[in-house]
Amino acid sequence: MTFDLADTVRKLSASSRRNYQNPYESIEWPDEVDRAEWFTTPEFVSLHGTPAWDGLPDERRRELSFWEAVNFFSLNIHGEKRLMEGLAHRLYQPGLEGVAEYLHHFLDEENKHSIWFGTFCNRYAGKVYPDRQVDFPREYADGEEDFLFFAQVSIFEEIVDRYNLTMGRDESLVPVVRQINANHHAEESRHLVFGRRIVDWLWREWVDTWSPEVVAGIRAHLDAYVTATWREYYNPDVYRDAGFADPWATAREAWDHPATRAHRAAITKFGLRPLVEAGVVSP
Amino acid sequence: MTGAEERDALRAWIRAHNPDVPPGEPADDTPIIERRYLTSLQVADLLLYIEEVRQAPVDPRRLKAGVFKSIDAIHATFFAS
Repeated sequence: MTFDLADTVRKLSASSRRNYQNPYESIEWPDEVDRAEWFTTPEFVSLHGTPAWDGLPDERRRELSFWEAVNFFSLNIHGEKRLMEGLAHRLYQPGLEGVAEYLHHFLDEENKHSIWFGTFCNRYAGKVYPDRQVDFPREYADGEEDFLFFAQVSIFEEIVDRYNLTMGRDESLVPVVRQINANHHAEESRHLVFGRRIVDWLWREWVDTWSPEVVAGIRAHLDAYVTATWREYYNPDVYRDAGFADPWATAREAWDHPATRAHRAAITKFGLRPLVEAGVVSP
Repeated sequence: MTGAEERDALRAWIRAHNPDVPPGEPADDTPIIERRYLTSLQVADLLLYIEEVRQAPVDPRRLKAGVFKSIDAIHATFFAS
């Protein structure tokens, strides 16, 4: 494999060292939070625009926004666990030696983010929502597993970043939530650059070696990954904690509603942009 | 729902999510993961469906290997108690 990420790795690693954070000092944690405040930007609450949302009084919308924040941070914890496992697995892997320097920073920063998310969930909700994703072992063509790993990381982080960007600037949210989102966005900016570059590089390196069936399988897998990623944002556990009588029907109705479809489509457009630019998927 | 109806509901879910499943499949003992009728990316969605059908949450942290290998295995794990 030819390696053309050296400049990116050098610049991003230097930026990570300049912006090195102590995760225990970078967030101001109040002893408790008032659930009558806002924790998720209303337009980013999963029920926004649906009849279930329209029928909720303001205080229940705010309570729901708290559990939505717990879910957002929980799904980040689970996503980052998979990410850290994948990054650690690829440290000094043959063919990826040239990015090892930055993978160390990537791992370090993801671990710090999970400390923030876990602290919020455990301190204010007393729990992290469980992960419903399960991995089955399967066979891959040469280069396919690494490509899919970094492509999935790119999709996951690009979607999360749209939430971080909005909520990190939303003055109506409680400060601790705003601060976690703003800090996460700041650090993820480097990861997004790395994700775009490595996806583009791996695609160019491998695509001509793959059969049309493998390429079609990759595209189908990424399409399914986008759906699976969004499913986590419509969590019945959230609706149960927020007092909905039938949390599964609430989740299903929210998922199927045109307003939430439009929300997902708008953000997915950003999420898939690196893969579109690399020629992996169509716009 | 009877046990047979629950199995048919699971079968219908698999077919709805995999248009390429041949007519008559999957049988109760068809290896649905091996045949790629169920992929890892579909499991979270299937779990939500199972929870809604049985109107009770599933703790995904307690799932053991093999629980999704067939309709029989899924039914025995989530509906047979």
